Amino acid sequence: MKSLLIIQGDNSPELLERLLRVVRHRGFAVQNLNAEISKNGQALHLTLTVCSERKISLLTKQLEKIFGITKVATLSQEARVKVSA
Amino acid sequence: MNGANFVVHALKQHNISQVFGYPGGAIMPLYDALYDGGVDHLLCRHEQGAIMAAIGYARSTGKVGVCIATSGPGATNLITGLADAMMDSIPIVAITGQVASHLIGTDAFQEIDVLGLSLACTKHSFMVQSADQLGPIIEQAFELASSGRPGPVLIDIPKDIQLGDALNFSPIHATKTPNTINKVAINSAREMIENAKKPLLYIGGGVGMAQAVEPLRQFIKKSKIPSVCTLKGIGAVKHSSPYFMGMVGMHGSKASNFAIQECDLLIAIGARFDDRVTGKLDEFAPHAKVIHLDIDAAEIDKLRTVELAMTDDLKQILPLLETTTSIGEWQKHILKMKVDFANRYDHPGDAIYAPAMLRQLAEMQPRDTVICTDVGQHQMWVAQHMFVDRPENHISSSGLGTMGFGIPAAVGAQVARPDDTVIAVSGDGSFMMNVQELGTIKRKKLPVKILLIDNQRLGMVRQWQKLFFDGRYSETILTDNPDFVTLASAFDIPGETIATKSQLQGALSRLLDSKGAYLLHVSISEEENVWPLVPPGAPNDKMMESL
Ligand SMILES: Cc1ncc(C[n+]2csc(CCOP(=O)(O)OP(=O)(O)O)c2C)c(N)n1
Repeated sequence: MKSLLIIQGDNSPELLERLLRVVRHRGFAVQNLNAEISKNGQALHLTLTVCSERKISLLTKQLEKIFGITKVATLSQEARVKVSA
Repeated sequence: MNGANFVVHALKQHNISQVFGYPGGAIMPLYDALYDGGVDHLLCRHEQGAIMAAIGYARSTGKVGVCIATSGPGATNLITGLADAMMDSIPIVAITGQVASHLIGTDAFQEIDVLGLSLACTKHSFMVQSADQLGPIIEQAFELASSGRPGPVLIDIPKDIQLGDALNFSPIHATKTPNTINKVAINSAREMIENAKKPLLYIGGGVGMAQAVEPLRQFIKKSKIPSVCTLKGIGAVKHSSPYFMGMVGMHGSKASNFAIQECDLLIAIGARFDDRVTGKLDEFAPHAKVIHLDIDAAEIDKLRTVELAMTDDLKQILPLLETTTSIGEWQKHILKMKVDFANRYDHPGDAIYAPAMLRQLAEMQPRDTVICTDVGQHQMWVAQHMFVDRPENHISSSGLGTMGFGIPAAVGAQVARPDDTVIAVSGDGSFMMNVQELGTIKRKKLPVKILLIDNQRLGMVRQWQKLFFDGRYSETILTDNPDFVTLASAFDIPGETIATKSQLQGALSRLLDSKGAYLLHVSISEEENVWPLVPPGAPNDKMMESL
């Protein structure tokens, strides 16, 4: 199943690497990724689409634990279909 | 004050009086600061030994363990220890030297991307990039290592930052407001407990890590709910507690494994449904509703979907859950299983039977003895047959199962608790994996007692080859072992070899009574196996009990 994740974190050089490692290790594949640094340079905003057989909550709970990540929100593909229907 | 002096100063501010490590080029400024900086440093003989000593120190005290290594090979040698601490949630701060900032990324001498390497085996890793970061990073590292679910934190410090001026830093200690506990959840949990006919506590390492042993014991005293524990949960429940059945899982007791399969309410406390505990997950505790208490929200519903979960501090929750139960039938059944399936120590012949020997040692050992183990059959025999009354007194590499853990962990525990007896129980395979730490024992004249159980095999692997690989003993035969007593004597450690039951009492007494370090080398049959055993892929009540 595909899920869309919206993530915010502190803008540190290795945050993305840290995050992508957890995504892969916990059994999720990245299908799409967008990363932007906030205007003041302090924060990193990410949106990524991930795909896995596993429940997305298994990943989001691991991501929330990463030091420097301040927000993790999901929008599962299903939920989006329902919203737009 | 330069950066290196600042690090030593910060360690002292965190009440760190003892560190373990090994010097080298990129960490020389820090070693210079340690020279007369007022923090004791114990030179181990390998960085893996240093970090495992720090783990032994942390586990035997509940404090943060600190280790230090140089860049490149020093840092890579820490990796196994970081992974060990990660899997067992042990608070460790590891400090590594790094090449000077301008050389990072140039493949400089002894440059390795330790931050990148460590990402999979630390709770967090920092690289200090400027002098002003040093103070806040050290502060955060100690906080992270010991808060929530504890774990290892790495701080990589480039040499120029160690040598450059440090900036003043005074930490602001925010006062933490304790969590407000969800009363609805507490009430539901109490209701579930009161309504259960066959409730069971499944106790993990989290209880000890949360310093929640006393509240747990109070809860058990009041509720009289039967309990089982994981390898890392050993010591949380008193061994003599009437309805306690010992370890559960692959090498768990029969009573524990049956109780798990029969219970109608399983209360997991600081435990994480590891595969060595659950056996076939789908068939684990098939009749049970589950209450899961764990500080780490990521553990909830990770492997077992539960009916109710709370992620607060166990010290806060357990007193609120105290309640009485009327589960007389279930308690009677548990007591009967404990009798029916009690361990037996009668064993024919003169050869030493390791389980019986460990039982005897447990009966002879002084109060508050710390048992450190290596990994293999001997580790499981310790878990099954010795008794421990505090989690800090049983130090065993549980999640990672790291051979070579026992001797350095015992070094750390003995340094931390100089007045307590520390025994390292090892196997002939594991002993050789960090044998260089005998040099550390000698250097510091540590009175570590070593019980080396020698089956001339990589016994646990041999057992699996026997059971599941048609007895094809591929690379597990160690008949060419060195003469261990001679080896120990090269480090000024006296010792003896025994092989028959009649020698046991005297030899165990000499081991325990020895003023300094001692090696008791015990030859046992290579044929011994660890029973019971839940074979891979089987549910916990399908245990093998003999060949
Ligand atoms: C570092 C490491 N390498 C390999 C293993 C796999 N392994 C697990 S138990 C074991 C045998 C241990 O032999 P020994 O220390 O003699 O103990 P015994 O099982 O004979 O009691 C091995 C090789 C491991 N756990 N750790």
